[in-house]
Amino acid sequence: MPGLLAMADAAGLLEIVGQPFMQRALLGGLLTGALGGLLGSFAVLRQLSFFSDALGHSALLGISLGILLGVNPTLVLIPFAVVFALLVNQLVARSGLPADALLNIVYSTSLAFAVVALSLVETYRGGIQQLLFGDILGISWSDLVVIGLLLLGALVYLALSLRSQVLLTLNSDLAGAFGVGANRHRLIFIVLLAVVVAVSIKAVGVLLISAFVVIPACGGRLVSRHFPLYALASATLGGGCALLGLLGSGLTNLPSGPCVVIVQFAGFLVALLVSQLSPRSGVLASAIAVASRSKPSGAREAG
Amino acid sequence: MTDNAPVLVVEGLSVRRGEQLAVEQVSFQLARETDTALVGPNGAGKSSLVAALLGLLPRAAGSVRILGHALGPAGELPRSVRAQIAYLPQSLALQGRFPLTVGEFVGFGFDPPGLSLAWLGNSRRCNAVQRALERTGCQDLAERRLSELSGGQLKRVLLAFCVVRPRQLLVLDEAQAGLDAPSSEQFQELLLDLRRQEGWTVLQVSHDLEMVRRSCDQVLCLNRRLRCSGAPDHALSAARLAELYGPNVVPYRHNHAGIAGHG
Repeated sequence: MPGLLAMADAAGLLEIVGQPFMQRALLGGLLTGALGGLLGSFAVLRQLSFFSDALGHSALLGISLGILLGVNPTLVLIPFAVVFALLVNQLVARSGLPADALLNIVYSTSLAFAVVALSLVETYRGGIQQLLFGDILGISWSDLVVIGLLLLGALVYLALSLRSQVLLTLNSDLAGAFGVGANRHRLIFIVLLAVVVAVSIKAVGVLLISAFVVIPACGGRLVSRHFPLYALASATLGGGCALLGLLGSGLTNLPSGPCVVIVQFAGFLVALLVSQLSPRSGVLASAIAVASRSKPSGAREAG
Repeated sequence: MTDNAPVLVVEGLSVRRGEQLAVEQVSFQLARETDTALVGPNGAGKSSLVAALLGLLPRAAGSVRILGHALGPAGELPRSVRAQIAYLPQSLALQGRFPLTVGEFVGFGFDPPGLSLAWLGNSRRCNAVQRALERTGCQDLAERRLSELSGGQLKRVLLAFCVVRPRQLLVLDEAQAGLDAPSSEQFQELLLDLRRQEGWTVLQVSHDLEMVRRSCDQVLCLNRRLRCSGAPDHALSAARLAELYGPNVVPYRHNHAGIAGHG
């Protein structure tokens, strides 16, 4: 977007924000970031963060297939991601091999096929850079509607199944004895995560998608003791950092996707700092514990 | 179902793990408000049996009835029956800074199974959680993260999860594993108190034979098949233990409250 680069300075920020494409980008960033943070808060706990990374890389194959077939890549991406999720789920269940190793096999192979497929396309106007790092400024109203509906669906499903998801994370037998359908919930969650990754890739790109899932969730975890607050903090951090990152991108003429990820990382560092200064944990808690131990009459909690 | 009817009836149960039968042709019953121990050497099929009873593993043969209702082939049970079962595992997969407080976790046990907004504030749930924490001596832990608890505290919190709502059947899978002798003793005393107050029927997998001898009404000795069963004095005789664990096993007693082992 050379025109955007020319406009992007501090004085022109208001003018940029007034542009319809930028408004769509900001709204898209907010929704995509919140969606990534929300799903990520569950995915990280359930140790599925590598899954989103692998899916992001594998999505390049879906995009390539769309280009080869002359179909809108976004339309190919969602079914591709769902098939990928189901395939990996079956492979993990049937092979008995570690999930991270299987994911590595699947995504490396997908990536290899994608590069071969792209090399067959003589003139791809989309540009590989946009595939790798996303083009949030090119987001359309229909994309926003899809992302918004997805966020709504994810919110409803996760709110209703929060207890099941947490019990499954803690102990699958405990959850099963409690009547939680482990396989059903795992499958629904993986498919939901796959669709979210697929939809977000247009805005974020295949290389940075896992950051949208993992970084806000880790930041939220650092500052939250209660699960609902953790999910809320992760979604807020994801959406807020996306907004700030996009505005920063407009101010500095730097690429939008990487700017968002850098702001997310800054948010993570702030969360780390806050957690260390918390009176209940971290450095400050250690100092309080040392101080209380030094008092002769200090009561200590027994294990 | 009558008041005297058994809570659990197992008939000819076989369970497959991979290619082999881990449990073969096991039959027993649990009478109401009794405490039954399931003992046996490692690899005897105890955990497989428990998993099959809870509907977590498919059965190769046999039947299981819980509170008069047959367990379906894929572990199906009416929701009202499922709500009467509590399971206490050996441990929880608690990663660092797990964002869940003790109060929240215990509250998850309050609502019946199924999709629900079990995390929203609710005065009935809050009162039940408070009472469950008090009864298990965990009232000071409500705002602590689960991942910050010691082993003994976590076991008490798991009991609070079970006691937060009335239930009838409590299944424990080596719940005292990893506890030192005093903590194990305290846990068993708390379990005994709660069992009497709640009228629980208990099935517990245990390696602590001395505890089993002192606390349980019935013992099931499993080594793939049910080798013997009955009152502890009968089932845990030296001859029976030698048959179950092998000829070199000698039960012994410590001078303190008593932990059994074999060596």
